[in-house]
Amino acid sequence: MAKNTFSSEFRNIDVDQYNEDNYKDEDAADAQTHIGIEESTIISLMNQGNHAEALKMLLQTAPMTSKGRNDQAKEAHLNLVLKVLLAVNKSQMDQIITVLDSTMLDVLMKYIYRGFERPSENSSAILLQWHEKVYNVAGVGCIVRVLTDRKRV
Amino acid sequence: MSATLRPYLNAVRHTLSAAICLQNFNSQVVERHNKPEVEVSENNLGLDFKYDGKVEGESSREARSSKELLMTPVVVSRNEKERVLVEPSINSLRISIAIKQADEIEKILCHKFMRFMMMRAENFIILRRKPIEGYDISFLITNLHTEQMFKHKLVDFVIHFMEEIDKEISEMKLAVNARARECALEYLKRF
Repeated sequence: MAKNTFSSEFRNIDVDQYNEDNYKDEDAADAQTHIGIEESTIISLMNQGNHAEALKMLLQTAPMTSKGRNDQAKEAHLNLVLKVLLAVNKSQMDQIITVLDSTMLDVLMKYIYRGFERPSENSSAILLQWHEKVYNVAGVGCIVRVLTDRKRV
Repeated sequence: MSATLRPYLNAVRHTLSAAICLQNFNSQVVERHNKPEVEVSENNLGLDFKYDGKVEGESSREARSSKELLMTPVVVSRNEKERVLVEPSINSLRISIAIKQADEIEKILCHKFMRFMMMRAENFIILRRKPIEGYDISFLITNLHTEQMFKHKLVDFVIHFMEEIDKEISEMKLAVNARARECALEYLKRF
């Protein structure tokens, strides 16, 4: 027979987690280790002055999984992308943006917002310029896709 | 206006106009409730819930997270100190602003001024009564606000607020300093 108890422990059990229709992030399956890009290739491309190619390469191989997964790879990739973004001259920005297609612009926008999260001296000013230029090309939809996409960089 | 302020405000404006895309959405957890999801969905279950003998079934349930309703929070920053955090969700949007505070006086002035406004939050309609941690002031825009007011006017308001607040605080700082100088002058006349 059920025993009368004063314990309230049972109230802390999350029974809803066993519901079948709970929301789950989709990428449980494809969360394997991300094959990153060699830092040396990017740096050599940058030394040649070929920022557009370096950026394109980085954006194509960006690790994109939902929040809290694959954090190390994301971190390393973010650092590389920021390095390229901050190295670009203001006058070259437009030219680089024309090379990128709309999917890559979305990814670039994600990285711009990620860059805002860790401002260092003068980085924000450059990122603000990038933001404006990408916005002028890709429009408000680009930002909406950053906000709504569950695959974060 | 300084060189980085214009692009900063523009970036915030674009981000806000993208983020204010709200619709009515009933709570998934409590029947016949309708709450701003950005406020309720982030809590984890049972963190601050203590059963103290009263009937409190609801509060444990509403703490359940429904993370599918939240969107990616984004930050727009101008430098280390000044930044804006935008946290959108399906029916509500939280904007938190960190204001430039160069020295102690500005810190005090900013704190007092924000407190003054937040005590009168209902007059500002979208102002939140408490700022998010790490920021000085927060706004909460829900779908009701976007139904009653124009979206572009809401964005204009926030941008205007950000423009004015810096000006206001530096003016107050000047006034405080001028007054202090005057006081010291009068006081030291006697010696």
